[in-house]
Amino acid sequence: MTFRTRLLLIFTIAVIVSVGLVEWLAIDATRRAFEQMDSRRVDALVAQFRKEFQGRGGDIVRAVNGIAASDTALSIAGAPDPSAYYNEAAAMAAARGLAVLELVADDGSIVSSAEWPARFGYKEDWLLQRAEWKSQGAFLRREELPDGVTLALVAVATVTAGDRKLYIVGGQQLDEGFLSTLVLPEGMRALLYRDLQPQFSPGQLLGPGPRGPDLYAFVSEVRKRGTESSGTIGSEAFHTLPLKGDDGGLLGVLLIGSSREELLSLERSQRWYGSLAAATGILIGIIVTAWATLRVTRPVQRLAESAGKVAAGNWDTTVEIPSSDEVGQLARAFNRMTHQLVEQRERLVQAERVAAWRELARRLAHELKNPLFPLQITVENMQRARERSPDEFDEVFREGAHTLLAELANLKQIIARFSDFAKMPAPRMEPVDFNSLVAETMRLLDAPLAQARVTPKIILDPGLGPVNADAEQMTRALRNLVVNAIDAMPNGGTLTVRTISLGPGMRLEVSDTGQGLTPEECARLFTPYYTTKTHGTGLGLAIVQSVVSDHKGRIAVESEPGKGATFRIDLGP
Amino acid sequence: METRDAIETADPPQTGPGMGDLAGPFVVTRWDAGRTAVYSAEENAPGGRPFLDQVEIVMGRTLREQATDLEFGRTDLIELGWNDVRRPTPARRSWSSAPVRVVVLAFGPRVDDPRVREALALAVNRTAIHNVLLQGQGEIAGALLPQWISGYAFLFSTAADVARARSLAAAAPPPARSFTLAVDDPALRPVADRIALNARDAGLLVAVVQGPSGDARLTQVRVMSRDGARALAAMAATLGLAAPGRMDTPEALYAAEKFLLEGFRVVPLFHLPDVYGVGPRVKGASGITPLGEWRLENLWLEGGRP
Repeated sequence: MTFRTRLLLIFTIAVIVSVGLVEWLAIDATRRAFEQMDSRRVDALVAQFRKEFQGRGGDIVRAVNGIAASDTALSIAGAPDPSAYYNEAAAMAAARGLAVLELVADDGSIVSSAEWPARFGYKEDWLLQRAEWKSQGAFLRREELPDGVTLALVAVATVTAGDRKLYIVGGQQLDEGFLSTLVLPEGMRALLYRDLQPQFSPGQLLGPGPRGPDLYAFVSEVRKRGTESSGTIGSEAFHTLPLKGDDGGLLGVLLIGSSREELLSLERSQRWYGSLAAATGILIGIIVTAWATLRVTRPVQRLAESAGKVAAGNWDTTVEIPSSDEVGQLARAFNRMTHQLVEQRERLVQAERVAAWRELARRLAHELKNPLFPLQITVENMQRARERSPDEFDEVFREGAHTLLAELANLKQIIARFSDFAKMPAPRMEPVDFNSLVAETMRLLDAPLAQARVTPKIILDPGLGPVNADAEQMTRALRNLVVNAIDAMPNGGTLTVRTISLGPGMRLEVSDTGQGLTPEECARLFTPYYTTKTHGTGLGLAIVQSVVSDHKGRIAVESEPGKGATFRIDLGP
Repeated sequence: METRDAIETADPPQTGPGMGDLAGPFVVTRWDAGRTAVYSAEENAPGGRPFLDQVEIVMGRTLREQATDLEFGRTDLIELGWNDVRRPTPARRSWSSAPVRVVVLAFGPRVDDPRVREALALAVNRTAIHNVLLQGQGEIAGALLPQWISGYAFLFSTAADVARARSLAAAAPPPARSFTLAVDDPALRPVADRIALNARDAGLLVAVVQGPSGDARLTQVRVMSRDGARALAAMAATLGLAAPGRMDTPEALYAAEKFLLEGFRVVPLFHLPDVYGVGPRVKGASGITPLGEWRLENLWLEGGRP
């Protein structure tokens, strides 16, 4: 991934995350605001319901007290046998607009029941459990009817006539009719669950509007908890009011439903426009980012291209960035660096060239000095013999001439070696059986090895197949390594030559048991004209390295002082 | 029923309950079916001409309307409802016959489990119904024949036993515990409702329906004779029971009646009298016999001819 792509990606992600976060925060804040508004609306309605409920309770208390204050009630209370009044409750209830009315004697037996006239004589013992009912106000109670049980908001009043007392229990049913009298704003509805059975019964959930399993489950859960709570079902929020009786037991649950459709519509609309704005913002952000990225990365790209050119060897490369910011400073520093690199390289080349010439001169001087000295001595002997012993001159001349020719041959050989190094030809690659090559080369070197009291040890890998190489150059390289090893063992030793198959390639190892090399010597060992010996041109190992390099191979040396040295040549297939 | 001293009609005579009793001392002079009947004094009646010139009978009036008519002097004689019997009014007397109607529960073939029938018979709180709904009129009954005719009616149990009723009902299969109770007399509807409530206490589900048809019926049967055997035979025939056997001795009559009531196909509940409210203008002895027959020929109106 390029720097530009990475930068673009990072900026794009940053833009998307930022815009998304802002969008989310905006939507969340709006949603909270709407929910708070909705919650306040529901709270207001709940408060209104409570007020309405209390108002209804007050109406019932007044109606019941009105009945208690009537002459009829007083007559019934004072009657020794109130059975004649068993049918009075219905008329009283109708006159006061009550759906539920029972007249109960002081022994708890029903004298008359408006809602269930046949229940006269049945006991309502719960009335006897409280000495005073006046302060109780209206409360919820289960009331039995001929066709089942209902939930009623009732009040109790008492009438006393002499030593007799008459309880008047009157009220209204909490049913569909009651719910229909509640004034609710649009989008809201009230439902009533009458907890009249031990188990949840969907049929006891009264009120308008749709209902389903989710609502039933919600009511069932609220019924179990018995506390005021809120919840959301689909697109409708519900606030629940547990309705408890005189004894604190749960008798019903009022549900105030508030449609969240408007809220959801607003949320959808806001989400849509928010998403549109976010997408636009992201698009603009990406465009700006792309533009900024191009502006930022173009100089960097130029720098990278220039650096690549420098790496490729074009050291005089420069980059032109007119800006004065950090990138501009970097470009100027880059230009200075390449300029200095060129200068330093030229200086280094010059220095190396000078050093090489000096080394070559030194070597040449050294190599040429050795044969020149015998030449000089021989010529001087010949001059001296001519002047002092003319009769021996011929003999001296013959010997001197022989020496001169030998030394001249030596000089020619030195010059030829230098010439060979300079004229190293390109290898002619062909499949070479290195085991045969090693064996043949070592056989030719038997004499020098024996003379140097070096014991050869040849270990050939039978699994080694043909390897592409120039057999002549490799023979020369091996011979140089062997000669080098012989030179490293002036007192004799063991020379080990080994071939090792490396799968696609091979390794050739030449080890000696000589005096070894220091790390510094190892580092400079393949430098031309470098030698640790008192004789030689210092070109042997340089030639070996040149041959290996031309074969795309590698050469390494491993040695420690006193422990001999091992040269390893690795060649490819 | 209203009594007036001068209403004329030319319609041929027809009789309803009690109206036939007027034949003899009076003759029908006008008949407006279902509305009005006018009887005029028979000058040549066997016991002598009645004191009243005419008796006008207005039909189709509710008990409440009749009570209002009597209260405002628009009539002189009315039928009294149970609620009105014990409500005293300053200017009203009442005539009451002996208990001549028996209120019974009669089960049809749908209620074929005797345990269910006995459970309902034991569940009914006759005392509460008698005291409150019937305002103490008549007698609580366990027998078809009233005590004043048979003399042994008290031998038939009338006590409620809800615990045993519940036990009997629980032994019956659930479908048998649920049935309808028909009541065709609106005056008996509160009694039927109370019976349904008592039945619920016993574990029976009784639905009251207005009309003549139901799995069981709450109905009244009139005692047609002072003679126990004839009265019982008539009742058995009316209720669709098998004709009783020999009833020539009190023991046989008792056995016959006991046989009729075995199996609880019919459960007597109450013996009720006929009760009339009489306005202050009406003078003379009671205008009805113990069997509820009208005897208006010896009555006269205050301010009229004695």
